[in-house]
Amino acid sequence: MSDVMLDLNSVDKFYGSKGQGVHAVCNISMKVMRGEIIALLGSSGCGKTSMLRMVAGFEAVSRGKISIGDREIHALRPVERNVAMAFEGYSLYPTVTVRDNIAFALKSSKFSATDVAVKVDEIAAMLEISTILDKYPSSISGGQQQRASLARALIRDADLYLLDEPMGQLEPQLRTLLRGRIKAYIKERGLTAILVTHDQTEANALADRIAVMEDGELQQFASPEDIKKSPANIFTGTFVGEPPMNVFPARASISEETVCLRLNENIDLSYPADAFSAELRASLAEMGDIVLGVRPYAVQRRDTGSLATVVVNQWLGDQSHIATNFAGGSLVLVEHDRTQLSEDEQIAIYLEPSDIHIFNSKTGMAISHGARLIG
Amino acid sequence: MSLELTNISKSFKDEMVLDGVSIQVHEGKTLVLFGPSGAGKTVLLRLIAGVIEPDSGQIKISGTDVDGVEPEDRNIGMAFQNFALFPHMDAHANIASPLTAQKQDKSAIQSGVQTLAKLLKIDHVLDHKPKELSNGQKQRTALARALAGKPKVLLLDDPLRNVDAKLRFEMRLELPRLLSDQNTTVIYVTQDYKEAMAFGDEIAVISSGVVQQIGTPEDIYLTPANIEIARLFGDPVINYLDVTVQKDAVGIFALVSDKRVDLNSGYARAVGQDCSLGIRPESILFVPASHPGAVPVTVEAETPLNEKTVNLCLTARGREIMASRPSGTVGPANGPAFVSIEAANVLIFDKHTGELIEPDKFY
Repeated sequence: MSDVMLDLNSVDKFYGSKGQGVHAVCNISMKVMRGEIIALLGSSGCGKTSMLRMVAGFEAVSRGKISIGDREIHALRPVERNVAMAFEGYSLYPTVTVRDNIAFALKSSKFSATDVAVKVDEIAAMLEISTILDKYPSSISGGQQQRASLARALIRDADLYLLDEPMGQLEPQLRTLLRGRIKAYIKERGLTAILVTHDQTEANALADRIAVMEDGELQQFASPEDIKKSPANIFTGTFVGEPPMNVFPARASISEETVCLRLNENIDLSYPADAFSAELRASLAEMGDIVLGVRPYAVQRRDTGSLATVVVNQWLGDQSHIATNFAGGSLVLVEHDRTQLSEDEQIAIYLEPSDIHIFNSKTGMAISHGARLIG
Repeated sequence: MSLELTNISKSFKDEMVLDGVSIQVHEGKTLVLFGPSGAGKTVLLRLIAGVIEPDSGQIKISGTDVDGVEPEDRNIGMAFQNFALFPHMDAHANIASPLTAQKQDKSAIQSGVQTLAKLLKIDHVLDHKPKELSNGQKQRTALARALAGKPKVLLLDDPLRNVDAKLRFEMRLELPRLLSDQNTTVIYVTQDYKEAMAFGDEIAVISSGVVQQIGTPEDIYLTPANIEIARLFGDPVINYLDVTVQKDAVGIFALVSDKRVDLNSGYARAVGQDCSLGIRPESILFVPASHPGAVPVTVEAETPLNEKTVNLCLTARGREIMASRPSGTVGPANGPAFVSIEAANVLIFDKHTGELIEPDKFY
């Protein structure tokens, strides 16, 4: 058996009639390895839930193949796929208690009644629902129902675990606590899981790799670290990262001595040529028009430099988020102390070459990260 | 218009949901209601809206008691969590509805709807009916509708829940400005402490139907009334260590891993008391072993977040503490290290009640 647990091969999903319908998932291919946790991350309507529903068998694929291990499963009924699911609206059986709902998942297994009880108690403790095991689904809160449904999925023995916004109803503090426990549970048992979420903190904390989706297309599929350091395109750069990456259209002009990036309103960022690799300089000279990206925490303030005007300064306890007008756009800075800056104040900005991301202005694809050409 | 609630109580059956809540919002200001689910935040909004009646207490809008005033006569705009959009109207008509009711002319309605739809990034779905909108889009449509009528008082029940981080951040920058430009008096419910700090002129922390603390974001973050509030604000969560406040010839101090941490002399009244020493992750600094009062720790793990790096450390007694530092700064990834705990950054709580012990000022 190979180490690939789930293989999506050129999968498409259309809703409605072709031509005027919606192309919800566009030609996505990806492989999930055994024991990996994958997050499908994207905004509402990006196709991430459609993807998960096709793997689960709740939706038919319009085109392409899905395999789990050696089995092609896209034509199988959901129950034949050996996947465990926790979906929003994938509801609990109303006529039995929470305990029986969770235990039901082990009904056809070989465990004795005592073993089942022990397992249910264990998972209920992990998800902080021990006190509601004897209640009926209708008498517990939405957040408790969600955890009961998650418990029912995780307690099962399955090839693949599909979790759709599994903690969406929970409070932030509880979410933080459970994240760590769920990850440990999945990792200790070597389970393979796919998580759908719009919450990048959750994706970063839980996933080995994140699949960033937008408009039905896979934008990038990489580790959280790689996505942060080397976003594949403008979308990923500005979608993942909090606050989002700042981006500005720019025109590059290259001479023997300098690299000059001219932003709108004739703001010039000039650097000694050797701050950029020779390959990148050649590429910049050829392209001219580019998009420049810089993360908010990498923006520096200096005594002199290009001027930005403060619009908002929000203090969040351990950091200040400062939004400014800069080069005809918005530039956000993060500073790690309580910055005393008021509206309309002018500040001088400096961007270090090693913090600059450059994107192709036509395709949006990344060209360089940190003054080095990709590839 | 200002808003004043005095001693509001409300029970459902035998369950006390609000117990003597008093809050005040000045005209054009935003008060954030912050607290866990079930704290009574939504009930409070419904009382102000006039959808339900309090058992006791008084609600005044612009100084006038609104007891008995119908919801539609209170001039209050609302965006609640269950959306409640008109199902037969598209998003445009939903957002326009308060303007249509005010009999504004067509071009004013058109531009009002467009501006808000653009701000809230729903301008591409204006011709969709509610059932064709995602939850996040429904939520923003409801928010746009509430804003469209420019009500004097606006009640917003967690309007950015279910919104992705990018849009949430943009809203966090733009919405407070819009609200203050419109001079709207706002009560804003959220469970996101960053949103609370960014939006609130003041924050009321509420739990189990009781207001625990009201203050500016600065008050709440720097002098939380109790350890529970300290834990709700801040990410990673505040560290706390069990200590006994002690006194000797040099001054007031506590021992952390047998190392002396000098405390403000104003803590004299806590000497001999069992306390929790609270210190926020960003106040734990890595220092050389020679630093006075350096506390030895073992760094167990390093988690790079976006703008900061978090280290999980163990004290000599095996207590876990979190330290965070700006991304790009140098720190130990694992193994033995030393941290400093400075008196100025320490909060002292009564170990048994969890209440903050403030140092006496006259020292």
